[in-house]
Amino acid sequence: MAGAEATYRKEFPVKGGDFAKAGAVACEIKELLKDLGLAVATVRRAAIVAYEAEMNVIMYAREARVDLAVSPDEVRLTFDDRGPGIPDVELALTEGYSTATAEMRELGFGAGMGLPNIKRNADVFAIDSEVGRGTRLDIIIRTNGHVTP
Amino acid sequence: MKNGTAANFHAIHITRDKCIGCVHCMAACPTRAIRVENGKARIIDQLCIDCAECLRVCPHDAVHSHTTSFASLEAFDYKVAIPSTVLYGQFGPTVLPNEILSALRRVGFDEVYDLSSICELNCAATEEYLNDHPRPRPYITATCPVVVRIIQRRYPSLCGQILPIEPPREIAAKILRTILPKSLGLPAAKIGIIHITPCPAKMVSINSPATLAKSYLDGAISIRDIFPQILQALSKNEEDALMRHLFPETLFSGTGMGWSLSGGETRGLKSHRAVAVSGLRDTMRVLDEVEGGLLQDIDLLECTVCPDGCVGGPLGVENRFLAKSRVLELVAAAGEHAVVDQKDVSRLYHRNFLSFDHPLEPVESHPLDRDPAKAIRKATRREKIFAGLPLKDCGICGAPDCRTLADDIVRGYARLEACPFVPTKKGPKAGSGKKKKKEKR
Repeated sequence: MAGAEATYRKEFPVKGGDFAKAGAVACEIKELLKDLGLAVATVRRAAIVAYEAEMNVIMYAREARVDLAVSPDEVRLTFDDRGPGIPDVELALTEGYSTATAEMRELGFGAGMGLPNIKRNADVFAIDSEVGRGTRLDIIIRTNGHVTP
Repeated sequence: MKNGTAANFHAIHITRDKCIGCVHCMAACPTRAIRVENGKARIIDQLCIDCAECLRVCPHDAVHSHTTSFASLEAFDYKVAIPSTVLYGQFGPTVLPNEILSALRRVGFDEVYDLSSICELNCAATEEYLNDHPRPRPYITATCPVVVRIIQRRYPSLCGQILPIEPPREIAAKILRTILPKSLGLPAAKIGIIHITPCPAKMVSINSPATLAKSYLDGAISIRDIFPQILQALSKNEEDALMRHLFPETLFSGTGMGWSLSGGETRGLKSHRAVAVSGLRDTMRVLDEVEGGLLQDIDLLECTVCPDGCVGGPLGVENRFLAKSRVLELVAAAGEHAVVDQKDVSRLYHRNFLSFDHPLEPVESHPLDRDPAKAIRKATRREKIFAGLPLKDCGICGAPDCRTLADDIVRGYARLEACPFVPTKKGPKAGSGKKKKKEKR
């Protein structure tokens, strides 16, 4: 089937604590999606998701693998990190909740937008977290057939 | 004096005779809009944002900007100059803004208007707009024409975050267009309103305005071009200058005077949190963050692509550090008091006199292919090609870096053989005709 064949895949590593490169992966993903001709709104949603998720890794985890898969119908983003995990996922998904330190807030991060913001911008949102092991996020953003003008 | 079609107008051009095909401009271009082909640099129209980074770095003076010539103003019966406040910083500490304005009259302008008060007006209107519009955040100022153009092309989702108030130069020209034809009894077309600027991109915003049906300005003269004439006029009339010291005729705004420096646009805001960014690469980095949803706790983001703000514009004369120091002196001398009545600002603001004619729209994007499935296949192919390139980013192939060469190849603009480091199956390459230009952008 043509759709299955036409999938763009790319993998990106993210290192925890690497604030100097904060946002680099999200930017690369955004540029790629523009090159693939996705609609402005779709690219924006994916950019926000990628940015927030990348920041979560940098702020809390040791490392993560990001998998991007783009087909004409959807953008699939997977963030699989080795880190502390989230003890209470329900709570972390509450708007405004944040465990960011004062230093992180100084840098403009950790406004408690992370996970809820990711969820808001995703069409499909799945989270699987285990304390002491890590967190895996699966996000799908549908393109709804809209392509760029 | 408006040359080129509105859609494709650019202020930055390569003088082919002077270009020796080195790669300085290509390496400096932030949008990777330059290629070197057959020994000459070429700017790709649709990618160029007129930032003039190429003009700054060219060692052979082969990049020039199309600004208005003073001679071409003869077409007008009445010539008005509205110089950027950057002009005030181009002279030594003994030359006051009033003398500069009067020197401009002697150079041949019938009337000259100071922009600092209009800058203050713009700031007050911006404050009012931010009060009325709690979302989205941050708004981005529309003063720098390069920022506006880079958002249309690279950050299309931020078009709606540009604060829709025209910059001071357009507001000033619009006010003059409204009052001068009546007071002078001249047809509007006979009155030429000219901006004097250190910025080549102002020509672009005049010829193809992004948010107006038509610019209120008739042209832009570069500070560099008119500076010798101003100097001459200044030296001839020392007595006159003394009188003007004693009887200043224009009330300068300290708030507005600072607009030529990064942070100057937002300094006058009373109740909003603002951040000022200057320099092209830093601007792009921050816009990337905004597109990723960051900085939402900031009300207003001021971006100017020239280092330190407009004072770092490429067509200025004085080095920007001295100019900045001079402008700061003038800001301090003018003081904090308002020269514009808030009620007047409010009235103009509510009449939409200061607003855009139409919202800022993204310009056509350039995906690898219009067909998403094809674009995906091309992106995969691009990845494979890129993996086989040497990553030296040497520019010998005529593209600024290996990634761009890979991109040009899948788009059909270049061939892999252009890279001198990739062994070809057909053996050694011929010296010429390496690149096939299937369709020229």
